[in-house]
Amino acid sequence: MLRDASLSRRLLIAAGGFIAVALVIATVLIGFVLHRFVQGQIDQRLDTQIVFLTSMLQVDADGRLSLAGNADGPPFERARRGWYWQVMGPGNTLHSSSLAGADLDAVLTQRRPPPPHDDRTDSRPWPADGIGPDQDHLHYRIKIERVGARDVTIVASAPRAAVLGPLREALVTLGLSLAALGLALVLAIMLQIRLGLRPLERLRRALADVRAGRSERVPERQPREIQPLVQELNGLLAQNAANLERARRHVANLAHGLKTPLATLSIAASDGAAHNPTILQPLIMQMERRIRHHLGRARAAALGGPVRAQTKAAQRLQDLGDALARIHHDKTITFAMEVAANLVVACEQQDFDEMAGNLLDNAFKWARSRVTIRATCGDAMVAFAVEDDGAGLAPAQREQVLRPGERLDEGAPGFGFGLPIASELAELYGGDIALEAASLGGLRVVLRLPGAVQAA
Amino acid sequence: MKVLLVEDDALLAGEIAAALRRENFAVDIAADGEEGHHLGDTEAYDVAVLDLGLPKMPGPAVLRAWRKSGRPLPVLILTARDGWTEKVDGFKAGADDYLTKPFRVEELIMRLRALVRRSAGHAAPEIACGPLTFDAPTGVFALDGLPLKLTALEWRVLQALILRKDVVFDRIELMDRVYEGDAGTDSNSLEVIVARLRRKIGHAMIETVRGRGYRLTAGLA
Repeated sequence: MLRDASLSRRLLIAAGGFIAVALVIATVLIGFVLHRFVQGQIDQRLDTQIVFLTSMLQVDADGRLSLAGNADGPPFERARRGWYWQVMGPGNTLHSSSLAGADLDAVLTQRRPPPPHDDRTDSRPWPADGIGPDQDHLHYRIKIERVGARDVTIVASAPRAAVLGPLREALVTLGLSLAALGLALVLAIMLQIRLGLRPLERLRRALADVRAGRSERVPERQPREIQPLVQELNGLLAQNAANLERARRHVANLAHGLKTPLATLSIAASDGAAHNPTILQPLIMQMERRIRHHLGRARAAALGGPVRAQTKAAQRLQDLGDALARIHHDKTITFAMEVAANLVVACEQQDFDEMAGNLLDNAFKWARSRVTIRATCGDAMVAFAVEDDGAGLAPAQREQVLRPGERLDEGAPGFGFGLPIASELAELYGGDIALEAASLGGLRVVLRLPGAVQAA
Repeated sequence: MKVLLVEDDALLAGEIAAALRRENFAVDIAADGEEGHHLGDTEAYDVAVLDLGLPKMPGPAVLRAWRKSGRPLPVLILTARDGWTEKVDGFKAGADDYLTKPFRVEELIMRLRALVRRSAGHAAPEIACGPLTFDAPTGVFALDGLPLKLTALEWRVLQALILRKDVVFDRIELMDRVYEGDAGTDSNSLEVIVARLRRKIGHAMIETVRGRGYRLTAGLA
């Protein structure tokens, strides 16, 4: 779904998501740290009170506890605000004045936490939470102290609000700052996206210029990331221009090629010689040859880039052989084929038909009684050797027939362009055509094409 | 010799028909695939010339339909498409020969003659029956080596008979092969033509088989 969404939206959604997650994690972590910090402060205050109480504890002869002075310093002097202390000995219990007659015993017996370990007197006070005398949430520190061979439990408490209040305040501030930070980051990313994507917009305008004909190609100086894209684009533009140029040239050539025989025709017509076949026939042949040649060229040019087609050679060759046997029915020609059934050539079927058809047609035309085709596989190329037992060609003639328009025998139609068309097509596929003397006596044409024997 | 010409271009069809008639062929023209298919399926022809790009029913479909219904009629395909793939497809559809446009009408005539000769089972270009010889590539009859002057109808009858020499040729079928589809056929005129032929090549050579037809033979001379 994101595939066709806009690039900026993609980037924004991704960056926004990451920022949100990062901010949430940061908030949680900072909140946790803050909580521990505030809690630590409170704990320290309560522990100090416990130490203070311990230092003032006295035991009289009856084992009753008392304090050597006033232990109700602030904030323990304020009544019923949650800041309390209590000392519990075996004989009696001392209360902070802030308790104002209330007692923490009930709370403590209710929610007394287990001591961390046996040697309680050495340990630091341990924490506990509970409900106070006014049903308020309290945070306790509890310590067991040995006073005159007796265990005395000393408790100091603070209201839970003393922890949560500052924490809430800090968190609100923190949250606001982080939100502001997030907003700033998103804005920065939007700006960055806009800046980052600006070259694309420039590229679009450059392409529009090319389309409108204001420039020939896209400027090469571009950010490194889109440089390859621009090179590909320019390559494509150049190829297009070349194709267009080639097409124009073909049309022009075709037009010129037809104009001359047409002019002669028109003269013949005005001379009243229009019914004279000795004048008309060569002109018509000439025009036909032009058209065939240009059609072949057009097919070849339309191929353009590399093709990944695959054609099974043996079946096509068999079909071509059958067709040719009927076309050349006036001769009795034995057609022998040595081509592996699973041989595959990397070209379009139509083009393979065109190449092989032209070569075999020539062979059938010139053969006395035998035509053979044999395929041999090289590394990545397949060589098809077409041989006939006809008269063959002298080395000088062999070069000639690969040039378009050269017709060695005016009497045998179709020799003029078959080989050059096949040769051009073969070259387009990265192959070639070579002419040699055949062991059968006639001509041997070797067509090399990319291909291989396919595993069955 | 009767040709079915299936070609939608009226101008080209007219030119081809005129050239074929100059060579004594009888020609029926069909202007679209359906008509062509119908004629080829129901009438007797020696050979068909079939354009590939036809209205109503494309040429290859016509050809396949004929072959499917078992018509052995030799077919020459005529087309502007001259790629080897199209040629192979044409032959696979059941064509016997192939000619690409533009073509020389002499070439077409030569190929049609060869097709008809081969489909009648004659491998050699010259067919002889006693003193009478028929040179298939040129369509010329000779008696004792001297060219024979024949009218178009005489030529058609004699050509049909010599292609199936020594075999009785059914009267009705012979008439079908001689007269064009839209020509009014008069059964008497076949007798007249045969009588004229007998005067030219000798009475004994064309034997009347009562109730069946005619037979060309050298044996009784």
